[in-house]
Amino acid sequence: MTLASAIIDTHALLQVVYVSLLAGIGVCVVYAVAVVGITRAQERRRANRPRAAVLYGLLATASLVACVWAIVLGITIMATK
Amino acid sequence: MHSDALLTLVIVTALAFDFTNGFHDTANVVATSISTRAIPPRAAVTMAAALNFVGAFISLKVAATIATGIVAAGAVTLPIVFAGLIGAALWNVATWYVGLPSSSSHALIGGVVGAMLAAKGASAVHFDGLLGKVVVPAMLAPLLAFAVAAIAIVLTYRLTARLRPGPASRGFRAGQLFSGAMLSLAHGTNDAQKTMGVITLALVANGAIPASHVAVPTWVVITAASAIALGTYVGGWRIIRTLGMRIIKMDPAQGFTAQTAGAAVVLAASHVGYPLSTTHVVAGGVIGAGAGKRLSAVRWGLAGNIAIAWILTLPTAAAVGAGTYVVSTVISSGALGPFVIAATVSAVGLLAVLIRREHKLTPQPADATR
Repeated sequence: MTLASAIIDTHALLQVVYVSLLAGIGVCVVYAVAVVGITRAQERRRANRPRAAVLYGLLATASLVACVWAIVLGITIMATK
Repeated sequence: MHSDALLTLVIVTALAFDFTNGFHDTANVVATSISTRAIPPRAAVTMAAALNFVGAFISLKVAATIATGIVAAGAVTLPIVFAGLIGAALWNVATWYVGLPSSSSHALIGGVVGAMLAAKGASAVHFDGLLGKVVVPAMLAPLLAFAVAAIAIVLTYRLTARLRPGPASRGFRAGQLFSGAMLSLAHGTNDAQKTMGVITLALVANGAIPASHVAVPTWVVITAASAIALGTYVGGWRIIRTLGMRIIKMDPAQGFTAQTAGAAVVLAASHVGYPLSTTHVVAGGVIGAGAGKRLSAVRWGLAGNIAIAWILTLPTAAAVGAGTYVVSTVISSGALGPFVIAATVSAVGLLAVLIRREHKLTPQPADATR
């Protein structure tokens, strides 16, 4: 065991790194997909293309649900430990 | 009797520090939301205050780290805790005065470690805990937030590249309501716990809590949560201006990614008990969101000044904490020294506030550019 690994809890540190990357980038990307879905749904509705509007609407809804789920999951894990 | 009076003084000082922490760090939480006009300033500050209060109840792991992981809890005395708090408070007031977003957390830890070194020597400081739980995470966290925000903003721009700017901006402004809320929650979770840890240390020093079984009392959680929430509500526009408008000119997508990156890093660190600096993390996120769009969008000179303030925080607060302890013991070995210092520091703080009122700043949001 090296001095560095004796002092630093590498498991905890790595956990912070990968959770931050996954949660931070994941939520941003999924939310961006939601913004795309909402915007495209509105555009398709105005262009009188209801099927495409519904599909983009579903994409936006699924993305927003995923964002909310990620946030609730994160808070629940923190509160229960 | 003297011990009880000193304990009361330490708790009041700790709560005052917690108030200044909320006051000082309001900027971290709300600056990006305000600068992109996602939410009006007063509403943003009110939301941040409420969620800071709620966040303080989520976890106690950081408080445990402060109370047991950095200095030897059994060797702590009330004058040491008091001197540490004064070191941190003076650094906070000084950086607030010049408008620099430095770390209240590291000021607090530096102050307590400095006072401990002056009082008991190096053997009473857990240098392994200080290095492994404070210094290394402190260096890693802003870089991590920078990376998360930079990658996220690049991907976000790619995904939304073909959208018209107006609807995309509206979407990310709405998203900032949630990312700002998460950041407020994260701030309350991590920062309020530091004061809880210090008050718990004081209770150990006074004998109210056994050093062998350190636990944070519920009343400490409630008072610390209330103090940081009140401080956040009162707010400080000076640092909001630096963080939200002067480092980069942000659009709503950048604000959203910076806040989300900051919240993710702070919450993940709180989960494993790292007393992280919200200030460092959010500034890292803001700079990352700027650099991810265009490196020249970041005002690197100002970012460099902030970095220098960060580097100076731990040693300066430690030096002030040590100096305060020495002066306090020179004045009196009992409670008189801390009371004289408390009165002096209060007068200096009041003077700083009065001088700043002469040059009062009001928030003027920058234009969204996207």
